Amino acid sequence: MKRSFAVVTDSTADLPDAWRERYDIEVVPLKVLFGEETFRDGVDMSNEEFFARLATSSKLPTTSAPSPGEFAELYTRLAKDHDGCISIHIGRQLSATVEAARVGAQAVDGFRVSVIDSETVTMPMAFLCRVAAECTTLDEAAAAVEKRIPRCRVLALLDTLRYIEMGGRVSRAQAMIGTMLDLKPLLLVVDREIKPVDRVRTRSRAIPRMVEFFEKDMPVEHVGVVHAQAPEEAELIAADLRRRLPGLEVPVGQIGCVLGTHTGPKALGLVYIKK
Amino acid sequence: MDGPLFKRALLGSLSWLSSNHEEVNRLNVFPVPDGDTGTNMLLTLQSAVEDIKESNAAEVSKIAKLASHGSLMGARGNSGVILSQIFRGFARAVEGKSSLTPAELATAFVEAANAAYRAVNKPTEGTILTVAREAGRAASAAADSPDATVPRVIAAAAAGARAAVLKTPSQLQILRDAGVVDAGGFGLQIILEGMLKTVEESESVAALAASRPAAAPAASQVAVALPEEGWGYCTEFLIEGTDLDLERIKNQIEALGNSVLVVGEPELVKVHVHTDDPTRVITLAGGYGKLLKLNVGDMSTQHRRILEGAGQGAGAPRSNGVGVVAVVAGSGLVQIFRGLGVDAIVEGGQTMNPSTQDMLTAIESVPYDEVILLANNKNVILAAKQVLGLTKKNVHVIETHSVPQGVAAVVAFRGDRSGADNLAAMKAEAQRVQTIEVTHAVRDTRSNGLKVKKGDVIGLINDKLEFAGTDYGEVVNKALSKLGADSYELVTVYRGEGASDDELQKLESDIRSTHPGLEIEVQQGGQQHYPFILSVE
Repeated sequence: MKRSFAVVTDSTADLPDAWRERYDIEVVPLKVLFGEETFRDGVDMSNEEFFARLATSSKLPTTSAPSPGEFAELYTRLAKDHDGCISIHIGRQLSATVEAARVGAQAVDGFRVSVIDSETVTMPMAFLCRVAAECTTLDEAAAAVEKRIPRCRVLALLDTLRYIEMGGRVSRAQAMIGTMLDLKPLLLVVDREIKPVDRVRTRSRAIPRMVEFFEKDMPVEHVGVVHAQAPEEAELIAADLRRRLPGLEVPVGQIGCVLGTHTGPKALGLVYIKK
Repeated sequence: MDGPLFKRALLGSLSWLSSNHEEVNRLNVFPVPDGDTGTNMLLTLQSAVEDIKESNAAEVSKIAKLASHGSLMGARGNSGVILSQIFRGFARAVEGKSSLTPAELATAFVEAANAAYRAVNKPTEGTILTVAREAGRAASAAADSPDATVPRVIAAAAAGARAAVLKTPSQLQILRDAGVVDAGGFGLQIILEGMLKTVEESESVAALAASRPAAAPAASQVAVALPEEGWGYCTEFLIEGTDLDLERIKNQIEALGNSVLVVGEPELVKVHVHTDDPTRVITLAGGYGKLLKLNVGDMSTQHRRILEGAGQGAGAPRSNGVGVVAVVAGSGLVQIFRGLGVDAIVEGGQTMNPSTQDMLTAIESVPYDEVILLANNKNVILAAKQVLGLTKKNVHVIETHSVPQGVAAVVAFRGDRSGADNLAAMKAEAQRVQTIEVTHAVRDTRSNGLKVKKGDVIGLINDKLEFAGTDYGEVVNKALSKLGADSYELVTVYRGEGASDDELQKLESDIRSTHPGLEIEVQQGGQQHYPFILSVE
């Protein structure tokens, strides 16, 4: 039976390229602002253009959530040929997006929107969308997604703390990073928090540490790798995981502009939903 | 109040917020280029007013509806979303009305605040919500007066908002800590004041001038001035003891910092202070009794915190109950070790070796029963080991011989891992890193098969004299080649106080040209006697 409800997420889900079509998922872009110029994440600017500009921009860009009105417009359009919608978004602790979606949904009469605070960011949201898309009813989808939210993990290796710190998401003290040395923080997004897992001086030693931590969290239902302009390293990690975890797809996704504003270039993420 | 007047009032709000939004931005608790409240509110208000500019509607209800729709479409950030809900509540309250009496206007302000409260899952007092509600209350009170007019109701709302804004620091700890009032609330106050200015001009009510509140206070007057630099550390703890002399403790602590608070009973005293030297404060207080609930927060990073409860910060009490003390000399190196989470520093090292007593005092000052002590110099190790027999605390000495080994060890320390696990990891990391120390020979000598003249540049690899020469770059490059630079990734250069900018730049470019595969990071170590110490890993 074909599902009769729509699946919506936002651009911070870093959906693998093929998934939007394969699972019929609508993506609402967040925005990146370079001074007065506003760009819709993944729409007005490619990831390559973004990171090139990030590297040369003297002032860091800022990010902003979609407006409630933008959600209301999408929901109104979806209401024409769907009987409901599940809308899965970046955690409330990180962005006002889920709030905007909720307010936007209230503005559309007679269309049932189940707005979900994923409590996380990047590809675990894509996994949740896939879970929802594979359900037949909206209730079933909402229950399946809610059940998995506490098991979502993002293990992030940043090349520098500069961007996440400037964005105000994590302080050096929180990341166990001193104020002086350029350490590579390994962070875990879990339970609405960003927790420090480890700090390492060099990148070549940090990647094995990330994989070691992941191994302690096995078994997993979904796992993927995301990266900001570090495709070779991401593919190597993914290939290694595919060898060891036959039967799992292990998609590789690109960290988009909005999340990239906070991670900076060369960030790597191991993202998964625990079993 | 009819449509055209409400339109002018909103345009007045926009222009007043437009000239003041930077003041609002400055109040952000998080001084980061992300989601500035003033900008978010301005952009939201701009969007609210967008369609109104073109409208000639006579009815206030039509203008309000346009504002509601426009703000919903353009809402940015949490404060923008709440502002859009305020417009929504206002628009609902005035539905079908062509013009508002003072009482109806007051009701609309109250309904606007109610709508804002409903929009938020867990309303927090001390925010724009409180300010909206207090504006509504003040407006209602003014509307009850027999000589109520629309301008007076708006004036009351603006005054109510301002009073509420000034109270926000007493309602929210985060504002109190940052020394600011709530930015969103202040934005709303400006919007109401902009409205008031326009309406006053429009109706030219001279009589009102006497009761009109003063113009919006500039943010710099509202906000407690933030220190330009040297935020220091917010240090808090309890002292448990007997017959504690609060006055005396307070006087002594006041000498070490500001924002001092010393309260409690002779048996239990709570201390709060902003200081640049928490170690001294703790040492001092430790002399009075047992320290409990110690919390030292680096305020320069603390006020950027968005995620509450992330813990594990340098200042948060550690779950493993293990403290770290390091022997370090050089102002930059002290900062580096402190920044990595070391609880107490014993000043000393190369030539001025600290005493066992110095190290004992530092260990006793740390609020943990298990303490890891990093010697960071081979001449310190012996004295450090003496501490073991002098304290009840469980002390472990890690025999780090150099600054690079000490840094590597501290980097491996984790507050959520047991003392034994930390020791193993820290020792392993200290062993892994290679140290190159560069200095000048203090006399002619022969050592390790090398003939050295006084004043020569000499290079030591892991404490062993390996190279002599006349040039820093030459000696360092030889040392790097001997270590096998290809198998390493990163060189950290700790610059000593004796090294000039030119010497540093030349060293960097010498290393780059000979070993282009190495990443170089320069740190101001400030150590004496050794112009350069290099960590290779």
